[in-house]
Amino acid sequence: METAREGYEPVIGLEVHAQLKTRTKIFCGCSTRFGAPPNTQVCPLCLGLPGVLPTLNARAVDFAAMVGLAVGAQVAGRSVFARKNYFYPDLPKGYQITQYDRPLCVGGSLTIRSGAGWKTVRLVRIHLEEDAGKSLHPEGREGVETTRVDLNRAGVPLIEIVSEPDLRSGAEATDYMARLRQLLVYLDVCDGNMEEGSLRCDANVSVRKKGASQLGTKTEIKNLNSFRFVDRAIAFEIDRQIGLLESGGRVAQETLLWSSERGVAETMRSKEEAHDYRYFPEPDLLPLDLSREWIESVRERIPELPHQLRERLVREQKIPEYDAEVLTDTRSLAGYYEEVAARSGQPKLASNWIMTEVNAVRNKSGLTIEEFPIRADRLGDMVRMVGEGKISGKIAKQLFELMLQDPASPAELIERHGLLPIDDEAALRALAKEIIAAHPGPAADFRAGKEKTFAFLVGQAMKQSRGRAHPEKLQQALRAVLAEER
Amino acid sequence: MPIDRGTVQKIAALARLRVDPAEEERYVRELQAILSYVEQLQSLDVSKIEPTSTVIAGAPPPLRPDEERPSDVRDEVLAQAPDRDGDYFRVPRVV
Amino acid sequence: MSGTTVQESAESLGRSVGSGERSAVDVARSFLAQASRSATRLGTYLYRDEESILAAAAEIDARRKRGEALGALAGVPVAIKDNICVRGVPVTCGSRILERFRAPYDAHVIGRLRTADAILYGKTNCDEFAMGSSTENSAYQPSRNPWDLSRVPGGSSGGSAATVAAREAPLSLGSDTGGSVRQPAAFCGVVGLKPTYGAVSRYGLVAFASSLDQIGPLATSARDAALLFNAISGPDERDMTSRPETRPISLENLERGVRGLKIGIARELLGDGLDPEIRACFETVSKWLVAEGASVVDVALPHARYAIATYYLIAPAEASSNLARYDGVRYGLRVPAGDLREMYEATRGRGFGREVKRRILLGTYALSAGYYDAYYLRAQKVRTLIRRDFEEASRKTDALLMPVTPTPPFALGEKSEDPMAMYLNDIYSIPASLAGVPALSFPAGFTKGGLPIGLQLTGKPFDEETLLRIARAWEQKSDAARRLPPIAMEKAA
Repeated sequence: METAREGYEPVIGLEVHAQLKTRTKIFCGCSTRFGAPPNTQVCPLCLGLPGVLPTLNARAVDFAAMVGLAVGAQVAGRSVFARKNYFYPDLPKGYQITQYDRPLCVGGSLTIRSGAGWKTVRLVRIHLEEDAGKSLHPEGREGVETTRVDLNRAGVPLIEIVSEPDLRSGAEATDYMARLRQLLVYLDVCDGNMEEGSLRCDANVSVRKKGASQLGTKTEIKNLNSFRFVDRAIAFEIDRQIGLLESGGRVAQETLLWSSERGVAETMRSKEEAHDYRYFPEPDLLPLDLSREWIESVRERIPELPHQLRERLVREQKIPEYDAEVLTDTRSLAGYYEEVAARSGQPKLASNWIMTEVNAVRNKSGLTIEEFPIRADRLGDMVRMVGEGKISGKIAKQLFELMLQDPASPAELIERHGLLPIDDEAALRALAKEIIAAHPGPAADFRAGKEKTFAFLVGQAMKQSRGRAHPEKLQQALRAVLAEER
Repeated sequence: MPIDRGTVQKIAALARLRVDPAEEERYVRELQAILSYVEQLQSLDVSKIEPTSTVIAGAPPPLRPDEERPSDVRDEVLAQAPDRDGDYFRVPRVV
Repeated sequence: MSGTTVQESAESLGRSVGSGERSAVDVARSFLAQASRSATRLGTYLYRDEESILAAAAEIDARRKRGEALGALAGVPVAIKDNICVRGVPVTCGSRILERFRAPYDAHVIGRLRTADAILYGKTNCDEFAMGSSTENSAYQPSRNPWDLSRVPGGSSGGSAATVAAREAPLSLGSDTGGSVRQPAAFCGVVGLKPTYGAVSRYGLVAFASSLDQIGPLATSARDAALLFNAISGPDERDMTSRPETRPISLENLERGVRGLKIGIARELLGDGLDPEIRACFETVSKWLVAEGASVVDVALPHARYAIATYYLIAPAEASSNLARYDGVRYGLRVPAGDLREMYEATRGRGFGREVKRRILLGTYALSAGYYDAYYLRAQKVRTLIRRDFEEASRKTDALLMPVTPTPPFALGEKSEDPMAMYLNDIYSIPASLAGVPALSFPAGFTKGGLPIGLQLTGKPFDEETLLRIARAWEQKSDAARRLPPIAMEKAA
């Protein structure tokens, strides 16, 4: 299989549906909040009652245009909504309002990691459409199966982002998804929550012999809603197609559903013939006309994008690209880092601390950086101390643990818990004198030549100082005092 | 483009309409008559004509602000539902 | 008193209720009494709840007694076509598929009528989902022409037209997609207006063909039609196709006469199929216009002959999509079945009548893969040509005069077996629908047999006023609008 695989090149394109973070649905004023009891966020419109009409949500257009501009796409001066007609219980009107041959955005691209370097993935288009409701298929009683329909999600605004088939592996596809998700979260147009269905992906997969220019027959794998599924489903399908071709078979153009339990992609049973969706322009909505001025005003509101932030950190903070990548995972994390770096004056050290200690805690406890108990100013102060040599790495780790539980400042915590080593000569001499005075016998023994008792005296001194005495300097002081006093 | 029983069956399936076999012939005839009539449109040269997208031209209306407008129809609608399971609409199984 | 009350104009009724001269309850009782004499025979109503009508009237009287100012249509009964949603009331659209469905919300126009203090007066019979020209396609009952009960009242707003003609109600609302207000108005001898597309919000009008549908008033006079138009028209944020350019009609301006107006006549529309008595009436009105100081000019509508073909591709296509929601899932009829697919097919198979099915099949075909370009897309292009014809014609005219129907009212059953024959009735009404311009049907005369003849005026976008002004002037010359059908004059036993 290895040698056979190497002769083939996988060709992958992704269609991503992202739910826009608007307060209301795309064509009506119902709330889009997740997790409401069934059929409580509905109105005559999204219920598909007789006589209702769609009204387009301004913010949905705003968000969609912003995404288009952020990926360098052309935002159309005129785009048209269309009806996609088919029957399904969670499609209340019997058609979905989407955009067909005149989408909102055309073109654009996303830069992703490919191996050790970067690669540009071209986009075909981005368009607006409404989501369907939810069909739940529980088992019924008496062997009669029924489906339950909840229309809370019907009408939630989506953008569909279609890429060219420029991806060449499951790993590239996963990176593409991750960066696309990151961009949408940066723009604050999508919450990127894949478990809640805010981001969904369909993959178009085909293979061809390396060096061939023609594309192979592609299959579509639907509803991949986690990064892991994207990777595994694509890998599975690539293998399956190569296997088919190697054994003299042909790949059939079909739609597959990924089953994560069984780890296979299966033909969707419910799809018989290809659907004839009978697209036509939506007569209840006028063509969407956007002026140059309006489009430019959206462009002005685009915040710093992930790759721009990354490049800036590398430039300004002189940290490696790898660090910048980790630290710009979210805009808030990047902001946190910048504050810590500034406060501490230690950009690289700040980076290390965040990448390792802070993120370790966050990963284990699932906290966002906003929820993380050590605010940037406190961490910054701590990192400064480490950088200036005031505390050792080991002490810093202890301090970090304390800071997680206690909102006091690092300095206060050091004081309260006695974290700073006692290395002041005078203090150590005073301690040595104290110990010697308290243990005259062992002191005399030492002076008489019993080396072993020195360890005892050191131990006592450490105990007395609660471990804070600087070990070497303590020993020096003890020896000195023992030698002086006869 | 003649219509036959097969076509009528296909279109009826697309439109989820049951058409009795007894009625099929009648629909074939009627649709044939109508399609023959509309065939006259083919004689026009519309190669340089834009299809009508807006019936009455004018400034487009403002888009809807993104503010919640809760609705109170849900109880009335569920009460009239042909079949329900609590707060869900219920339908026979999807094959 | 009921005899004269039902012959009064809505304008006068509204004024006298508003001033306290008479009570809304008395007005309602008069019309209810009138309706009780004829509605069953005419088949005008699918729903009319006397109790709630009288209760609403009593509420109006109570508010007036409290010193509240009342709206322009205070206490005036307005019958509503049964494809317009009134909250809590059935809306069947003349179909079995919505037999027990009650609307949970008010249409925009209904809200406006409530604001005007009108009385919502029953739901009138119509062709199923507004598809038809005779009201014979109603799944429930036919309606009959008040002038001759063996004849159709026209369609699809047959009930709305007949009820006003028979004085069962002074005003009604219908809907017009290809002529469904104007043609029944002509057949019943009343005024029927199809507003400019976008002048009246479609929110709450059960959609047939979205790019053509408009709600329109039916009344016994031009002024009353204007009054009702003013009460319901204007932009609505819930309908993105409703237009802000819409302006209310000035009733004062309706009295200005026709002097100086330029009226266009398209000879293409006066061809062979036109009944000779209607043609004669047309000539009479044209001569009158000239005599009154208007000028009559020839205009060309070269693409009007393609209007029926264009319409019968666009309207069914949009309808096939608009009617997809009637699937038995969330409301309306459901025929139980073992699986979903069967449930859809059985429900829609039983719930829809033949004409609706025919149009859904036609529309689905016109949109289907491989046929979209040749049918739907091409029809939309020809529509552009027709719209341009009207734009061109309106550059040198204030209005166009043309017939509404090719024949006087036909007999029940006469055309119901041949769809194409039925469709060809719409030859004069469809062009204005495709162009989106305002169009008015007004009573012009009578046949020798005593059947009403209506004629049509079309105008510039948002200029309903000029059309009603011309109709108003004709009203003062002709007695056509003042004659009542015999059934309306039958006294109580």
